[in-house]
Amino acid sequence: MAFVLRRLGFYIAAFFIAATINFILPRLMPGNPIDIMFAQATTTIPPEARAALIETFGFATGPLHEQYFAYLKSVFTGDLGYSIRYYPQTVNERLGWALPWTLLLAGTATVLAFALGSLIGVFAAWKRGGGFDALVTPASLALQAIPPLVIAILALFTFGLVLRWLPTGYAYNPSLDPGFNLTFIGSVFFHALMPVFSLMIVFIGGYLVTMRNNMIGQLGEDHVIMGLAKGLSERRVKFNYAARNALLPSVTSLGLTLGAILGGSLVTEVVFNYPGLGQMLYIGIVTRDYPLIQGQLLIMTLAILTANLIVDLAYVLLDPRLRRA
Amino acid sequence: MRDTLKVFLRNKKAAIGLSIVLAYVIIALFAPLLIEANPIARVGRPHVAPDADHLLGTTRMGRDVFTQLIYGTRTSLAVGLFAGFLVVAIGTVLGIAAGYFGGWVDEIINFCTNVILVIPQLPLLLVIAAFLGQTSPFVIAIIIGITSWAWGARVTRAQTMTLRRREYIQASELLGEPAHRMIFVELFPNLLSIIGFNFIGSVTYTIITQATLEFLGLGNPMAVSWGTMLYHAQTTSAMTVGAWWEVVAPAAAVAGIGVGLSLLNFGVDEISNPRLRTLGTIAAATRAQEKIDRARSAGKLQEAVR
Repeated sequence: MAFVLRRLGFYIAAFFIAATINFILPRLMPGNPIDIMFAQATTTIPPEARAALIETFGFATGPLHEQYFAYLKSVFTGDLGYSIRYYPQTVNERLGWALPWTLLLAGTATVLAFALGSLIGVFAAWKRGGGFDALVTPASLALQAIPPLVIAILALFTFGLVLRWLPTGYAYNPSLDPGFNLTFIGSVFFHALMPVFSLMIVFIGGYLVTMRNNMIGQLGEDHVIMGLAKGLSERRVKFNYAARNALLPSVTSLGLTLGAILGGSLVTEVVFNYPGLGQMLYIGIVTRDYPLIQGQLLIMTLAILTANLIVDLAYVLLDPRLRRA
Repeated sequence: MRDTLKVFLRNKKAAIGLSIVLAYVIIALFAPLLIEANPIARVGRPHVAPDADHLLGTTRMGRDVFTQLIYGTRTSLAVGLFAGFLVVAIGTVLGIAAGYFGGWVDEIINFCTNVILVIPQLPLLLVIAAFLGQTSPFVIAIIIGITSWAWGARVTRAQTMTLRRREYIQASELLGEPAHRMIFVELFPNLLSIIGFNFIGSVTYTIITQATLEFLGLGNPMAVSWGTMLYHAQTTSAMTVGAWWEVVAPAAAVAGIGVGLSLLNFGVDEISNPRLRTLGTIAAATRAQEKIDRARSAGKLQEAVR
């Protein structure tokens, strides 16, 4: 419990710092962001709304520390102001629409990559130097080295444009009404297939190699040799004795790669025109919609911190030493 | 020196990785000798498929894809090396300081490292680049350098802490060696493999990230690099009109250097950590052991018969 509380305290501090960076960045930059921002608006914004916007964005005139406290208040009350590009929609409305798609894409890809990578890593380490290991390990390393951007573009080109097997963009067929029915879910499934797979493929290799290396370390340990000497089944030694311990460092690496996966998801969404946070951040950047951009960074940090907390909880479940306290 | 090289080349992964990377470096260095053409000159009709005149076809603007690819190699490698150097310099200094001095220095550095590690990198980079406006490759390298040092700092710190507990370090401390001597003479040489690992990883990361930022339109579109090539291909819908060469060429270039660098990194890792070695080495050792065992048992049998 003490472990989880300590981590929670750290995450709150980290979020606070991310929010502060978010506050400082536009103020450090050359030029006047407000002017650039409003020059990009697609709809004309009435003067009183403009004043309100500047206020909620934290650009109210006044000493810097007052601006800072006003900004912190708006962040911690969850009021991220209005989007410039999508005025009169608020940033919260846009993020609320985009977040589930990113969770679906990045979440599925992470779970699949971690499960598949770790499982293959266990088998590759068990028969280290065998045919399976010699084929799978270098292949996964090569795939890991290819950036998500390249994989996504090539997948889109091959399966979307040349072979025409899968849809080339958006999260579902726009002619369908969103609802809980088989046609809609099927459409969501087929639209997610290519983005999820191209994101997953990049990250499988990392988990595979981590698991394989930990597993090789474990296989030399006494308790594994003991298990084999006792005549336990190969399966039992492999999974209950070696893999369970080897999984701990993998879970740590999972926490560390979450940021990279979110980054990969961002690129994948832009390539496949998938309506998640990444695509929205891209639109925000292209149209210089600063409130939207800042809201994105905050919500992405929050997503990463939450996911890390979940990883910490999983760690407590896997490592009995942490449960004792 | 020659022995080091031999060990290095005997590892297949390291050798292949090194050859790929060297090929890219040579192309980057001698680009103007290979091709005299100006990469942004209009040399043909738009979207010409690859032929003898244009090895990799032309873009929508009628620019030669092959020429752009060669000159793009310069930009990407220069940015990668420069940012890689920045990342490693910051990470190593902070990592050694935290690991060596401990106490409140460690507390502060470690806290900052952990915070940076949980703030999503790419979105942060995108936000900084967006606020700066269209950024040149050089500026992109600096942004990547100052935001990506955390991983290296963490690893270097851990290794420094382990080394610090070794007897030889403790001994030289008792002898009263000054801190700078301890760090540069005793610690630094033992950290070289980690620093090298960090450097190769950072170069890979930077090349990929730069291409991504530029693809998203955050770079200077006038610069010639793999990322801007992909960006122009995307904005001129090269793929939908079937101009695959415009997309595949830079994509393959990025993927190729990525594969080369990570093979090199993995090879170096295997050389410094014998446990991870696979295939040949282990099989050969097993065979040798079996041979010795057989010879021994045969000898014993003969003795017994006698």
